[in-house]
Amino acid sequence: MLFRLTSLLLLISCMPVFSAHAGTIQQAEFKNGVKLVVEEDHSAPVAMVQVWLKVGGRDELPGKTGLAHVFEHMMFKGSKQLGPGEYSRRISAMGGNDNAFTSTDYTAYFETVPSARVAEVLAMESERFANLKLRDEDFQKEIRVIMEERRMRTEDDPNSRMFEELSAASLRLHPYRNPVIGWMQDLQKLTIGDVKDFYKSHYVPGNAIVVVVGDVDFEQMKKAVAASFGRLKAQPVAPRFNPVEPEPFGPKRIKVVLPAQLPMLAVTIPVPVWQPGENDREVAALTLATHIMAGGRSARLSREIVDQQRLAFAAGAGYDPSAMGLDLWYAYGMLGPDQKPEAFEKALWALIDDMAVNPVGEKRLNAAKRNIIAANVFAQDSLYLRAKEIGQMEVVGLGAANRDNWLQQIDKVQPEDIQKAVARWLKQERSTTGLLQPEVKS
Amino acid sequence: MKSRMLALLTCLFMAMPVAQAVPPIQQAGLSNGLTVLLMEAHNVPMVSMNLGLPSGSVFDPKGKGGTAMLLAGMLTDHTAAHDHVSWADLLDQDAIQLGASASKDSLDISLTVLKEVLNPGLDALSEVLLQPGWRAKRFAIMKQDTLAAAQKEREEPGVRAAEAAAELLFGEHPYGHRSEGSMQSLAAIGLDDIKALFAGQVKPKGAVLAVSGDITMDELLPLLEARLAAWQGTPKQTLADIPQPKAVSGLSRDVDMPTTQTMVQLTRLGLARSDAAFFPAFVLNHMLGGGGFGSRLMEEVREKRGLAYGVYSYFSPLAVPGPFLISLQTRADQAVQGEAVVRSVLAEMANGAITRAELKASKENLIGSFAQRMDSNRERVGLISMIGMYGLPLDYLVSWTSRVDAVTLEQVAKQAERFLKPESWSRVRVGAKLQ
Repeated sequence: MLFRLTSLLLLISCMPVFSAHAGTIQQAEFKNGVKLVVEEDHSAPVAMVQVWLKVGGRDELPGKTGLAHVFEHMMFKGSKQLGPGEYSRRISAMGGNDNAFTSTDYTAYFETVPSARVAEVLAMESERFANLKLRDEDFQKEIRVIMEERRMRTEDDPNSRMFEELSAASLRLHPYRNPVIGWMQDLQKLTIGDVKDFYKSHYVPGNAIVVVVGDVDFEQMKKAVAASFGRLKAQPVAPRFNPVEPEPFGPKRIKVVLPAQLPMLAVTIPVPVWQPGENDREVAALTLATHIMAGGRSARLSREIVDQQRLAFAAGAGYDPSAMGLDLWYAYGMLGPDQKPEAFEKALWALIDDMAVNPVGEKRLNAAKRNIIAANVFAQDSLYLRAKEIGQMEVVGLGAANRDNWLQQIDKVQPEDIQKAVARWLKQERSTTGLLQPEVKS
Repeated sequence: MKSRMLALLTCLFMAMPVAQAVPPIQQAGLSNGLTVLLMEAHNVPMVSMNLGLPSGSVFDPKGKGGTAMLLAGMLTDHTAAHDHVSWADLLDQDAIQLGASASKDSLDISLTVLKEVLNPGLDALSEVLLQPGWRAKRFAIMKQDTLAAAQKEREEPGVRAAEAAAELLFGEHPYGHRSEGSMQSLAAIGLDDIKALFAGQVKPKGAVLAVSGDITMDELLPLLEARLAAWQGTPKQTLADIPQPKAVSGLSRDVDMPTTQTMVQLTRLGLARSDAAFFPAFVLNHMLGGGGFGSRLMEEVREKRGLAYGVYSYFSPLAVPGPFLISLQTRADQAVQGEAVVRSVLAEMANGAITRAELKASKENLIGSFAQRMDSNRERVGLISMIGMYGLPLDYLVSWTSRVDAVTLEQVAKQAERFLKPESWSRVRVGAKLQ
């Protein structure tokens, strides 16, 4: 449940609509490689500013997991011009809330501010981007905070821990096998030297995308970026680590024994992600298949396995077609005191196999399409989600210009496409199964 | 670059947040007594709404915590006219997002739809209210799954802490349990309890339908009147019937869990939504631990000492004083130190150690970020619903920034003295080998 919990939400928020977008995307590129993407919306005098970096967990070297996320913390520790915490104080004083997030594929820093202040925010963002002070004493404190974060999110949460283990067991090469927050063993060994090296190689203008959505003028934004990020010295950009995951040779299985109340069973399968023009139909079909299994009130997993067969008390599945390289498709069942993992597992595969063999009814397929479209319209309601959709599509290489393409692809999917996609990718011999087994107290 | 930065500094110091135009809340009533509050927003072709009813977990029968939550689940699962399968198909066919949940005071039924399917969406909402289904088989399934979920939740330190804190702070008072209920209280609930709560409390008089989206009051009212005129009645109890909780202080409870961290929560009674000092207390909490980075607790516990990832405070302004809570999680051997730091921050602030600069910073942030609180239809519906449920003035949002701005240092200090004396707080800890 907690495993890339946001996958479905992301799908909803990051994937486009035909006509529902409130504004048009305007883009500019600067000589040093910085990119600007703007969507004007003059309905309220605010703007969402997001700086996206093509830097994430995947760019870490073995033994140095967690470094990309360490930056998300160190970026608030001061630069040449701004003392520790000063950045946050300035943003706060103009009414903004600054924040950041890190994933395997990207790091993003964002703030909402009155639209008149966007140029100032960009000046501050570029200043800290270029002149970060990386002091050992700050790092020593912050790495302790990050270890507490890991204890809170993973160590003390059996479901989350199980999914961490399951991801690691599922993939041999692809960086989705490592947790973004880093393995505790790595966190204990990271040094300020590692942090500085990472900064030098990855925090370069060619990795930065500035996204602004809100009450701004594109021409003025171009000037503001030219005067801030545009001035940074061009530097070489290292290619991103995006290895081809070897095909699985057969099913894998792990058991994680932890102090938990109830068992959970989850299955992961490496599946392709969207490459516009290459695999549109297949990926759109897989998206719809996942929605039919796990989305809305009529989700098959809930209806059949939870409600009819009574083999779990909750069940779900998730797929993020805008991941990078591949996505780890997943399904899970939360098991009640009298529900057996074996029975749930069998029912899950029976359902998946049924989707490969029998065509989905027209009514069900249309409802799934309609829900994906509606979710996109609802997401247009928030500046944050709109900017995030643009940023994510840019940073993983899909391109924000492609956002109107996606739902057209969804709309084209036919029942046989779903059968084909499920039959090709959601196969037991390609899967890894994880069981969270409650520790028995002696 | 250097001269640019200097220019930047100057204008930052001069800048004062500008109050932003807030669309007005329009009020109307249906013939059955239901209050309708609307804020128009025509930028996205959607409508969001929330029906707030005085039927929260505070009205759960004694020993049957979770009744309101189960009622919320039953109401949206099926109706008398549609079984759960045909109901789910009907809603999904038009992408109608219908949900319900219970909090302490209210039961909320929410609806979000594309404008083009507003009519079927309203049909669904009225079917829930007028033709509830009480299928025993579905109730049995829902109860069994809810019980399993309640057991699963016991893996979460936050859930265990919330359960203990509610009991410690409120005892026999109806706020003394989590809205989700416990394994024990859920097991005691029968279908008749659910039906009785519905029959007593789910009534139009005193309920509030909060709406935000691409619609006008002139369009909306006839659609509602046509569907809801047959829904009639007055609830047996209102939020005004909730008894005042008695203050406790200095209590302590430990919950044993096999975790690497210890969760430390300090708690005491906060204030009611109607409290005259709401705004000074609100600003005070922002300074204490409600404002994230820059708040005292975050500064002392995380920034200076690296003791925790998160430390925060909040108070729940309910119909009567709800909990005021401070929470942090830290490695077990640092828990004592973490608590000591929190208590010293409390003591300092209670003694009036609050500066004008801090107050200014908090006010600027609150005022400037107000627009963000209203960033989407669903967030606006939440605010409008709260205004309706607690009878706040309709210009509440319009005057919000000026009321924050009017808060003085003296007012904040007075609230600090009222709420932050360390001895007035009780403690809950969750972790392994607590001593």
